Amino acid sequence: MPDVGHEFDDRLGRAFDRRLVARLWHAARPHRSLIAASLVLFPLISAVELAQPYLMKVAIDNHILKADWLGLTWIVALYVGVLVLLYALHWLEAYLMNLTGQRVIHDLRAALFGHLLRLEAAFFDRNPVGRLMTRVLGDVEAVSEAFTSGLFAVVADVITLAGVVGVMLWLDWHLALVTFSIVPALFVAAGYFRLRARDAYRRVRQRLAHLNGLLQESLQGMAVIQLFARERYEAERFREANGAYHRAVFASTSYDFFLYASVEALGSIAVAVLLWYGGGEIIAGAVSFGVLVAFIQYTNRFFLPIRDLGAKYTVMQSAMASSERIFGLLDRPPAIVSVGRATARDQESRAPAVELQGVWFAYEDEAWVLRDCSLSVAAGERVALVGPTGEGKSTIARLLNRSYEAQRGRVLVDGVDVREWNVARLRRHVGIIFQDTLLFTGTVEENLKLGVDGAVAPADLARAVETARAAAFVAALPRGLDEALGERGANVSHGQRQLLAIARALVYNPAVLVLDEATSSVDAESEALIREAMSGLLAGRTSLTIAHRLSTVQHADRILVLHRGRIHEEGSHAALLRRGGLYARLTELQAGPSAA
Amino acid sequence: MSRASSDVAAVRSLVGFGAVSLVGTVFAFAGALAAMLAADPWLTLWALAPYPALVLLAKRFNAVVNQRAQATQEQLGVLSARVQEYIAGMSVVRAYTLEPRASADFASANREYLRRSLALARTQASFAPLMGLIAGVGTLVLLWAGGKAVVDGRLSLGALVAFNGYLAYLTWPTIALGWTLSIVRRGLTSMARIQEITGARSDEREEQIGLGTTMPLSTSMRPLWEPAPGTVFVGERDVTRLPRGALRVMLGYVPQEGFLFSRSIAENITLGREDADAARVREAAVAAGVADETDGFLAGFDTVVGERGLTLSGGQRQRVALARALVGRPPILVLDDPFASVDASKEEEIAGNLRALAQGRTVLLMTHRLRAAQLADRVVVLDAGRVVEQGRHEDLVGARGLYARLWRVQQLEEEIARA
Repeated sequence: MPDVGHEFDDRLGRAFDRRLVARLWHAARPHRSLIAASLVLFPLISAVELAQPYLMKVAIDNHILKADWLGLTWIVALYVGVLVLLYALHWLEAYLMNLTGQRVIHDLRAALFGHLLRLEAAFFDRNPVGRLMTRVLGDVEAVSEAFTSGLFAVVADVITLAGVVGVMLWLDWHLALVTFSIVPALFVAAGYFRLRARDAYRRVRQRLAHLNGLLQESLQGMAVIQLFARERYEAERFREANGAYHRAVFASTSYDFFLYASVEALGSIAVAVLLWYGGGEIIAGAVSFGVLVAFIQYTNRFFLPIRDLGAKYTVMQSAMASSERIFGLLDRPPAIVSVGRATARDQESRAPAVELQGVWFAYEDEAWVLRDCSLSVAAGERVALVGPTGEGKSTIARLLNRSYEAQRGRVLVDGVDVREWNVARLRRHVGIIFQDTLLFTGTVEENLKLGVDGAVAPADLARAVETARAAAFVAALPRGLDEALGERGANVSHGQRQLLAIARALVYNPAVLVLDEATSSVDAESEALIREAMSGLLAGRTSLTIAHRLSTVQHADRILVLHRGRIHEEGSHAALLRRGGLYARLTELQAGPSAA
Repeated sequence: MSRASSDVAAVRSLVGFGAVSLVGTVFAFAGALAAMLAADPWLTLWALAPYPALVLLAKRFNAVVNQRAQATQEQLGVLSARVQEYIAGMSVVRAYTLEPRASADFASANREYLRRSLALARTQASFAPLMGLIAGVGTLVLLWAGGKAVVDGRLSLGALVAFNGYLAYLTWPTIALGWTLSIVRRGLTSMARIQEITGARSDEREEQIGLGTTMPLSTSMRPLWEPAPGTVFVGERDVTRLPRGALRVMLGYVPQEGFLFSRSIAENITLGREDADAARVREAAVAAGVADETDGFLAGFDTVVGERGLTLSGGQRQRVALARALVGRPPILVLDDPFASVDASKEEEIAGNLRALAQGRTVLLMTHRLRAAQLADRVVVLDAGRVVEQGRHEDLVGARGLYARLWRVQQLEEEIARA
């Protein structure tokens, strides 16, 4: 199954991909009125911008040359108006483009995050958190650039260019054609350097990826490098790669500046040609002085967008690459979907609370974790599942709430195949409690009420905290239940965290409790508290405890020993010890070398 | 790594863009001002009159933009913390059907981020067209004051047009002034930080020396973990007095994790030793028991492995690392728990190889798998950094000490695995 692209992904393809642009358009559709408003603004702005040189021309020809001071003052007043209007329009344009871009990526972020919530657990095993965060937060930024300074800016530039050409032809088509004579040279230069710059830029990306890879590898393998005294050899390799990268960057920057410089130079040549030809025309009386001045200013506006085209090209390229990755993730269908409608039965059912029938499961290919595994837990029964580490005990919990799906065999809850259950109802019915759980950012109370819709009576909450033996330490927190937890919140010890997890389970109060015991050990005092809390939690409840420490399973109604992907032994603690099999050995092993 | 690259980038903008821009600004002002003053000092004063106000305005805008940009960054931090929390805690999200809560939580942070981004955009939107405004105001003043001068006959029309050109030339440097200065400031700060790192190396070395005595022999080869002089010897010679190159010739060391570089297998075995030819590489690979598999690969010893190439199994990596140690034909071989990441059948295989390798060599094997320790002439038992027992395997098992207890535990483990 494909994943969602690599961090050092250095592909940078076309700046315009019809398929991707169509999808971006689809994403932007809800904001099409904003886009329409921008599109109306563009010609308006161009018109007002192009009025400035024209006003200059009028001022010179009609007023300054005719010594008309009053008329000049009028033009100046008009000019003030144009400036204010232009400023307002520019502000509106920039704001509208940002508004569109930001709203589109706001929606994209929400869509991406919502989609991630629907994807199955196996997806997250393959895609590290960092990469997914880059999709949700990083790639979308590149897309917003496409709106603010990519596609839209190009449209605005084209409109301005057309306007400049139009006005120049209208003012004096002779002079305009003379100015445009420089255009073929401009296109040749721009095309040539653009092409070279693109190739050079591709080399920059490749060499940077190489340099990054080398750096990462050297840091990881530093011990080996130092051990074998290869520092100088590795430094030499790095120096070479670094040099190659430096040369590539230099070449790429050079082409950029060649392009920049040649456009500037051609612009100056155009002005020179204008002065030479236009000056002659003025002397001949065919062109007014003001027209020439306006022409010089129009020429500058003509060259500006062409000069900046390169930057926009790069923006569009990275926007396309990012949107490809974004849509790639959005297009990936969730493997586990809730099609079933089954819910918990109202009447007392005779079926086992949970049951595995000949289940085969592998996280990858044919590396079977469970092989033809069968087990069942009757309603009201307290069952413990033990076994050597890495034998797939926690896997069984993940199958029961359909985080993963068995390849063969059936998983039944309340006598109904989990695939026929409504997933949300199933997970409300079978509660998997990770004792070593993480706390979310929020208050203690919010963390205890996880997943419980509607209000929980304060008395119930207090009872749960009390039963979980967490009352004392919660009371000791400065703000009690309102104390903030999580990354920036209070520091909660490992033992206290487990007590909170137990209280959380009591509040969640599932019909079937699957408890994934903490693997880490805590101090003796906390251990005793946790054991008390656990017996309070399990009392009178259907439960399957996945035990990583055997000390806690002795009171279970029945103990299942998982080995080689199936149930190897089962019975009470005493019976299993008497039998002297795997369970007896595991118990001895857990006692450790000091007791042997 | 991220700090290094962001600091380097800041310095790059300082010496690249920052310096060029600063010099450019100075020259632009000096040149344009000289030309303008030469043409008409009075008009120069008029034309530049709005500039101080505009520079102040730009500075003020810049401050607001910075402040809002920071607020946006902070919210991005909040948003990414949420995303990270929920993605990392996806198993809990699933178990407690927290999807609606996660969505709502994300939505509120996302909305706030949008709000702050737009607040930033509003200020930035008023900042960007400032350039046009500055240029426009200059032209405006010129047109009005200069136009009157031309009408009055105090100034030629040509001089007026030239003035306009000079003003346009000054617009960008004026705007960029504040920006350039902040680039220079940031670059200098980063430069200071980079110098801190590059200057720190020698001190670190001194700090580490004290740790040496508790380190096993293997780590004595690392320059950073150096034992105190007179505590670790190889062939009666103090390792601290031996040149490191000589130490490598004498000791072949195989670390716990067989780390391979993304290069060919041959290069991984020689690791830059130019004196090792193809025959030596093959000899080492044969001794390490990895030659046959390597010949089976498409490009043989030139097959690239690792991240950008063929993925080898843990056992294969271990054996390539073994070949790497053997390629120098060292008289002493140090193996740091070669069984740490291999399964039982591979353990058997590596142990078999070891028997052959030990011919005519001193082998120091560090391991927690006692079955392999059975092969040794003598077993030394370490506990909390001290030697607590030593002797032959059979004697130690009979002695009922720590070794005997560990032996029982491992037998239990084997019994469980066999069950």
